[in-house]
Amino acid sequence: MIFYLMRCLAMAKSKTTPDLILIIVTFLLLTVGLVMVYSASAILASYHFDGDSFYFVKRQLLFAGIGLFAMFFVMNVHYWMWRQWAKLGVLICFLLLIAVLIPGVGLERNGSTSWLGIGAFSIQPSEFMKVALIVFLARFLSENQKYITTIKKGLIPSLSLVFLSFGLIMLQPDLGTGTVLVMTCIIMIFTAGAQIKHFVFMGLMGLTGVAVLIISAPYRIARITSFLDPWKDPLGTGFQIIQSLLAIGPGGLLGFGLGQSRQKYQYLPEPQTDFIFSIISEELGFIGATLVLGLFCLLIWRGIRIAISAPDLYGSLLAVGITGMIAVQVMINIAVVTGLMPVTGITLPFLSYGGSSLTLMLVSIGVLLNISRYTKT
Amino acid sequence: MRVSNVTVRKRLIAILVIALGIFFIFIVRLGYIQVFKNGWLSNQALNSWSKLIPYEAERGDILDRNGKVLATNISKPSVLVVPRQVRDPKKTAKKLAEVLGMSEKKAYQDITKKQSKVYITPEGRKISNQKASKIKSFGLPGVFIAEDFKRSYPYGNYLSHVLGFAGIDNQGLTGLEAYYDQQLKGKNGHVAFFSDARGNRMANIKDKYVPPESGNSLKLTIDKRVQSIIERELNLADQKYHPEGAIAIAMNPNNGEILGMSSRPGFNPENYKKVPQEIYNRNLPIWKTYEPGSTFKVITLAAALQENLVDLKNDHFSDPGFIDVNGTKLHCWKRGGHGDETFLEVVQNSCNPGFVKLGQKLGKDRLFSYIKNFGFGQKTGIDLQGEAKGILFNMKNVGPLEQATTAFGQGVAVTPIQQVAAVAAAVNGGYLYEPHIAKGWVDPKTGKEINQTSPIEKRQVISEKTSKEVRYALESVVAQGTGRNAYVQGYRIGGKTGTAQKVKQGGGGYMENNYIVSFMGFAPANDPQIVVYVAIDHPQNTVQFGGTVAAPIAGKIIGDSLSAMGVKKQKGGLQKIAKYPDQPMLKVPNFVGMDREELEAGMLDLKVDVVGKGRYVVMQSPQPGVKLNPGSTIRIYLGDKKEKGD
Repeated sequence: MIFYLMRCLAMAKSKTTPDLILIIVTFLLLTVGLVMVYSASAILASYHFDGDSFYFVKRQLLFAGIGLFAMFFVMNVHYWMWRQWAKLGVLICFLLLIAVLIPGVGLERNGSTSWLGIGAFSIQPSEFMKVALIVFLARFLSENQKYITTIKKGLIPSLSLVFLSFGLIMLQPDLGTGTVLVMTCIIMIFTAGAQIKHFVFMGLMGLTGVAVLIISAPYRIARITSFLDPWKDPLGTGFQIIQSLLAIGPGGLLGFGLGQSRQKYQYLPEPQTDFIFSIISEELGFIGATLVLGLFCLLIWRGIRIAISAPDLYGSLLAVGITGMIAVQVMINIAVVTGLMPVTGITLPFLSYGGSSLTLMLVSIGVLLNISRYTKT
Repeated sequence: MRVSNVTVRKRLIAILVIALGIFFIFIVRLGYIQVFKNGWLSNQALNSWSKLIPYEAERGDILDRNGKVLATNISKPSVLVVPRQVRDPKKTAKKLAEVLGMSEKKAYQDITKKQSKVYITPEGRKISNQKASKIKSFGLPGVFIAEDFKRSYPYGNYLSHVLGFAGIDNQGLTGLEAYYDQQLKGKNGHVAFFSDARGNRMANIKDKYVPPESGNSLKLTIDKRVQSIIERELNLADQKYHPEGAIAIAMNPNNGEILGMSSRPGFNPENYKKVPQEIYNRNLPIWKTYEPGSTFKVITLAAALQENLVDLKNDHFSDPGFIDVNGTKLHCWKRGGHGDETFLEVVQNSCNPGFVKLGQKLGKDRLFSYIKNFGFGQKTGIDLQGEAKGILFNMKNVGPLEQATTAFGQGVAVTPIQQVAAVAAAVNGGYLYEPHIAKGWVDPKTGKEINQTSPIEKRQVISEKTSKEVRYALESVVAQGTGRNAYVQGYRIGGKTGTAQKVKQGGGGYMENNYIVSFMGFAPANDPQIVVYVAIDHPQNTVQFGGTVAAPIAGKIIGDSLSAMGVKKQKGGLQKIAKYPDQPMLKVPNFVGMDREELEAGMLDLKVDVVGKGRYVVMQSPQPGVKLNPGSTIRIYLGDKKEKGD
């Protein structure tokens, strides 16, 4: 422990300024998020909370504050620090994921028991598992990179851990988070240098797995068909996609203007969480939505850049893991709300309402920023 | 041992490229949804946001040719409830029930239905303005008063078959209301208010009001004065003869404009729900198909004259009382026949064998070609629903016998409107017009005519010269022949009587003692302004003759109508000739033993009170030889057995 702190202090001397563009992008996303959470949730909030239209945005603001504080703190914590906690973190997260499945302990929301805790102060163990696994894999893969091209010593140990946690998450069930977790880990393994043919093989396995999952839970079939032709069952399985498209489409090039969404009037379910991008598209139009996508592109670009210029493989893998997690989550969310993918409940990083998710995202950015301070020249 | 840094670097760049590629796809997709599909999705969205409160369009009025209102609307609003906006269903139900006079329970059920909007039917449909303003004054959320109308027919039974009626949703169901529904009904308007998924109004989108567009007013060719005369005469006939039905049509022969049209049994369009369907659905003047009888002889006459086959004044015909057609004796209605007569007298006497002779001169092909050219066997095309086209012999089956009976109006089945159109052509110079009843459309706001229907001339069937001869012959029928009861001094009425046998339903020959008696008349004979057809189906308490029953009605209609239309009486023309030279006192002839058709000739100056049913006269009072003033009543007893006269 002391050794690591010493080492951190030693390295602190060679610190440069963190990635400024990433900070700016983060602040921009955070600002857009707060404004849009207010716009999207005001009607619903004032309906449910006695006219308090600020109910959601106040909470989001609180978590943004906590998150930013944490981000700046973490930005100054040497990323090697987290390496130490990797094993313990993964272990604790495993226990939490199991705890959540015990009847009476986990809280059920929207058909999934993903939450632990009481009321507003509840956490999603699966969210923490994502981060813990990224740190763990970054360490494991950087230490065992020589085996990465092999199946036995490289792929199986890393993947077995990934799929064990995926399995636990799917028991909740939470396909969205599970997918993000798996995809993020695969990106890391890919970056570490695993063989392409192994990925092809895994891809086939994955497809088989998806098929099994679909067969095991028939409601997923309905979700898939509804995404192909939502108007077939406009009040049932196609409802959410249709309502999302009815927000995005009429927005047109310039949108109705901030605060002018119609679909947020209780047509679009959860306009401030999973479908906040639909409201953004409706109010700010194609141009506004494209700018938001552009911010995410900038974020990914900076993230990959940090990964490329990280001083060590561990740093590279940690950076790509964090960037990949954010990117995959953004992509799944956008694909869902624009009708390119079946509905999977997943939030849009930085923009959707949700305290623990926002805090975690900002902490992750903090880690990225820290890595950026040790950029090779 | 690291996998080379280069590999990691390459893979990171690959990840970046793939990620940017995926974002590019998203941008393309957004463009597709927001720009390309913008219009379609916007419409879908508007549909899902907006709730409509309909504003019923005011139906166009129906006017007579002089602008008199025959059908109009009374403002009768309807109550419309948007259940999701109702704040306090119990209180709302109580108040609504109170005003609408319904049970609170039903009102509660209505306003809590899981529908986006509910009409309270029937209690809340087409209510009075007082009730509506009372409900409005409550200011109940979710309760709206929607503009609505009730169709009103101010003259009741008047012209009812032609006008038809409109139903509860202001949709035309029969008659002109149905035929011209599209133009009459206008376009419904609405107030669209935008609401969230729970039906609460969205605060930031303004209500959109689309005002209803009233339907245009329909101006008819009907002349209310002529129609009133027709209705009056049919009412009188109805009271006097208690017939199974009655039909009257008045038309301007020079353009096909219908001036009046009515039939019995009638109905009041405002109570159509209480009227049997077959009464309001059958517009007899255009629907009833029957053997016309002698009125049809006009067609045979016109054809023969056009083909120069007969000289009315100089050609003679000898009627022994029957004519032999291929071994079948076809009898004249007058026992013993009319003896030697000119063909003009054949027409005046309505002599059947004489018309058979004319038919034979024409031959099968020419006779039937004229019948078709005069418009029989096909719809006239009048702008009313439910017109029949009549039945003609299949040409293959027409032998000499069928040809012979057709010539005097038996064996063909036609509609009254076909006869009117055909006779109009025969007397107007030969031009067959399509009868029509819509004269034009009037803008309800400005009162200006938008367009006028122009008469449709189908073809010229006979020449002007022939038509003139037909007019002369028919004028002489009224002045000197069987049509004398239609005579009106100064109006030069021409016409032809008809007594048609009715075919038994399901075949099997003709009905006994059941006739449709008719008269087809026009005036003035030198320049016809009106053609009138009257038919009375099975009149009671009278001898069933066209000349006795229908001719006086037609004469009255023609005379009063021309006077109302401002046609001046004129001097000249054929004078009525008294049948019996010993006027003023009449010696009562011996009727006993005569058959009913024969009676017609002798009865013209006497009123008849018929007792009993049957084909032959068995007794009469006063006895033959008694002298009476013209116009006196004699009582005739009918029976089936033919008694021998003294």
